[in-house]
Amino acid sequence: MALEDYRVDMEMCCRCSICKFIPLEKLKEKRHSYVCPSIARYNFHTYAGGGRMGMGIAMLEKELEYDEKLLEVIYNCQMCGACDISCKYAMDIEVLEPINEIRIKCVEEGHTVKALDSVINSLRKQGTMVPGAKARRGDWARGLDVKDITGQKARIIYHAGCRVCYDQDMWKVAQATLRLLKKAGVDVGIAGESESCCGGRAYQMGYKEDFLNQAKKNMELFKKSGAEILVTGCADCYHAFKVLYNKFDLKGDLEVLHITEYLARLIKEGRLKPTKKVDIQVTYHDPCHLGRLGEPYTHWEGKPIPGHIRIFDPPKEFRRGTYGVYEPPRDILKSIPGLTLVEMDRIKEYAWCCGAGGGVKETNPGFAEWTAGVRIDEARSTGAEAIVTACPGCEQSFNDTLKESRSSLKIYDVVELLEKAI
Amino acid sequence: MVLKREIYKALKDVVGPENISESPVILGSYAQRGRPRFEAITLPKNTAEVQAIVRLCNRFRIQFKASSSGWGAYGDAGGPGVVKLDLRRMNRILEINEKNMYAVVEPYVIYAQLQAELMKRGLNCNITGAGSNCSALPLAAHQGIGHLSVSGSYGERNQLALEWVTPDGEIVRFGSLGSINQWWCGDGPGPSLRGVIRGNVMPLGGLGVYTRAAQKIYHWPGPSTFPVEGVSPHYHLSRIPPGFMIRYVHFPSSDKLVQAAYKVGEAEIGFIVMGFNPGMMSANIATNNNEDLAYLKQFTDSVQGPGFLIIMAGNSPSDTEYKMKALQKIMDEYDGRSLEAVEDPKNAGGFMWRFIRVTSSIREVARASGIFAGEVGGTDVFHLMHQYILRSSPLKQRLINEGRLLADGTDPFVQLVEHGHAGHAELLIRFNKLDPEAFKTPAEVGAFANKTAIEGHFGVPGHVWGDAAHDQYGPHTSNYHLWLRKIKKTYDPNAASESTNYITAKD
Repeated sequence: MALEDYRVDMEMCCRCSICKFIPLEKLKEKRHSYVCPSIARYNFHTYAGGGRMGMGIAMLEKELEYDEKLLEVIYNCQMCGACDISCKYAMDIEVLEPINEIRIKCVEEGHTVKALDSVINSLRKQGTMVPGAKARRGDWARGLDVKDITGQKARIIYHAGCRVCYDQDMWKVAQATLRLLKKAGVDVGIAGESESCCGGRAYQMGYKEDFLNQAKKNMELFKKSGAEILVTGCADCYHAFKVLYNKFDLKGDLEVLHITEYLARLIKEGRLKPTKKVDIQVTYHDPCHLGRLGEPYTHWEGKPIPGHIRIFDPPKEFRRGTYGVYEPPRDILKSIPGLTLVEMDRIKEYAWCCGAGGGVKETNPGFAEWTAGVRIDEARSTGAEAIVTACPGCEQSFNDTLKESRSSLKIYDVVELLEKAI
Repeated sequence: MVLKREIYKALKDVVGPENISESPVILGSYAQRGRPRFEAITLPKNTAEVQAIVRLCNRFRIQFKASSSGWGAYGDAGGPGVVKLDLRRMNRILEINEKNMYAVVEPYVIYAQLQAELMKRGLNCNITGAGSNCSALPLAAHQGIGHLSVSGSYGERNQLALEWVTPDGEIVRFGSLGSINQWWCGDGPGPSLRGVIRGNVMPLGGLGVYTRAAQKIYHWPGPSTFPVEGVSPHYHLSRIPPGFMIRYVHFPSSDKLVQAAYKVGEAEIGFIVMGFNPGMMSANIATNNNEDLAYLKQFTDSVQGPGFLIIMAGNSPSDTEYKMKALQKIMDEYDGRSLEAVEDPKNAGGFMWRFIRVTSSIREVARASGIFAGEVGGTDVFHLMHQYILRSSPLKQRLINEGRLLADGTDPFVQLVEHGHAGHAELLIRFNKLDPEAFKTPAEVGAFANKTAIEGHFGVPGHVWGDAAHDQYGPHTSNYHLWLRKIKKTYDPNAASESTNYITAKD
């Protein structure tokens, strides 16, 4: 697919502005009624999903020259998909897909931004999206006595992800994950030094070829290992393996699960029993790539049926975020004795983004921090002592912002709290 | 045309560098395809900034146009040399006065936000039928006729005190705001300018900028939040709140529908009464276009003739009982039957909330092909409006038969306003905007609607915008267009307020 393939979708935008708000049926008060960080921060209509549709058409028509402002608009978007979901409450059009294609077009035509080029260079040279990474990728697992899937057979691969491997503060989450899996008797292995970036963020930044290279490399490794299931604790990686690899016909039969899905299953089967009290009131932040963007990818090929209503043969199932991973992390939290879960106003398919996605953390850290700050304020308004999430990217984004604010609010991964209860 | 640097700098000094742009990528998103672009987009934060921009435009002899949520091509520039005021940063609910039952908002508050805040306080507001994604400023969203107009009136009548930046940059506060600095009345103490700033439809951005306005709000007998469950787009209610009921009542003939509607008005039992046809009901419940077609067939096959949607909201058990009995009696008297799919508890709650929050107008009009058009009646005697729209049905049927419109039925969509004190009707058409033949149909429908309105003495419809339309209707309607033009000339001596969709001061 290319931007041109979404021309009609973009032309169908009726400029109603629902892409700027949470689905209006769910709106309970004025505060927290916006859903798109980009328009909320920069205000010009151009930054909203609808504005980007007009921009896409103008690019196809060659009405826009590549200039600094155009790239600034294009890259000040977390690719969180909230606009896409709010639009598709009412409309049958793609929104996030053409926004992604706009970026791919920029890269293909050689119009990139320095900050992202640097990240991609790191990916090309070191197989990670963390530029200048010094640690060794597998160091986090040292001493954990876990199988190496490059030489040993395991039913399950645990993929830690770049953000965990190269940030020592995040190692605790991956280490806790392995301890829990082993406690449940799971036959798990890791790729250690051979683990490589999923490539998902590269795709969302517009570097499609780099993503495909990573995907092919990873799938070769996974297939060779003979593992049946891939489990990851990173929402970005989950989205890449589960959705993007499938989209490009690369996933094969590999079952992809987020760690929260797998742990919830283990609890249900009685293989993990949270019995210790964890007295804490928390609120759960749905990572975009696990929630609305995490719903399975369904292949569709067809053509529009001519007429006055936009329908297809065969019928097209639009991805509307309906089947994202929303309940497993909540089920885990609810299974922990003593823990109270209080919900924020914007949850599940209309959750506000943590701010880190789509390359924004790299191109415009101030915007990423602003976005995280809005979410932190929302979390605080619930009275919770901590934000719990299920993605190291979200956790890092919140932590970076909290450092500046001297807040007593804590940030946890679901896995950390579950381990405390077992 | 590029703005002279001194003009751009002056505008930038008003709003700050972050809140002005003339980059092509920004300008492009404020113009529908093929329409002229603005010279610059500004994002004023308050009335003072709006006033300063307006004064600069007068000083430099350029034009300006303001809009809030910006749905509708009438927010676009009519030609070159126009500066946009995007009022997005003016988004505060300034006051909800529970005792005196009014709310004061800035232009970028949308109805969903206002309604949500009101419901927490046992109050509610009328919402324009276009949807709760539109501005809650009572003068911003066209006429402000909506689903709740049977019990909650409409924009013109709900509007109370107002703050207005005139086309030449004066700030006028009228109604009680101008005399005693309070918001509760649009007409005084002192002189009222309500007729001047509204007209029959709205100036549609062509007569200065409305920066703050109060509107009348209403009693809400429902819960502070509706119990909405599920994940988009499959929202549903966990339960229907006590006292609420929804029905789609269909009749064997148009005459019986009209008689029954009058009775519903007299009995004052309707919280929402909308003369939707099966096509709008199917679009409302369907989560995609394929479902829409399936429901359309199901509903069309199930009704005996035209119908209306009614939602009732009881204030007490006895009030609920009265309303239920009254509706049943009316249905019995006029052979009305309830469409089971709407009454079905599986669907009823979802229908109810979508109509109360007015979330599905986009589904009903724009999802099919991204565009809609049609004939908009005025607001007059219910029966008159019904007849007006009814006369256009054969044309719509012909266009459907020729394959130039979506075949979604030709029943007129007519609604009660203020319990039947008035009525409003529309005949909407949906078509593939990329099909050149279909794209001509709005003009055909418009021409026919105008001919019908003038020859049949049906008054001035809500779709009459711009010089040509006013000049066509004026001579048949007390030469109102001459007065409208005098208003424009008097208040806008420099023709600074871009008014392609209102009226210009031409001689």
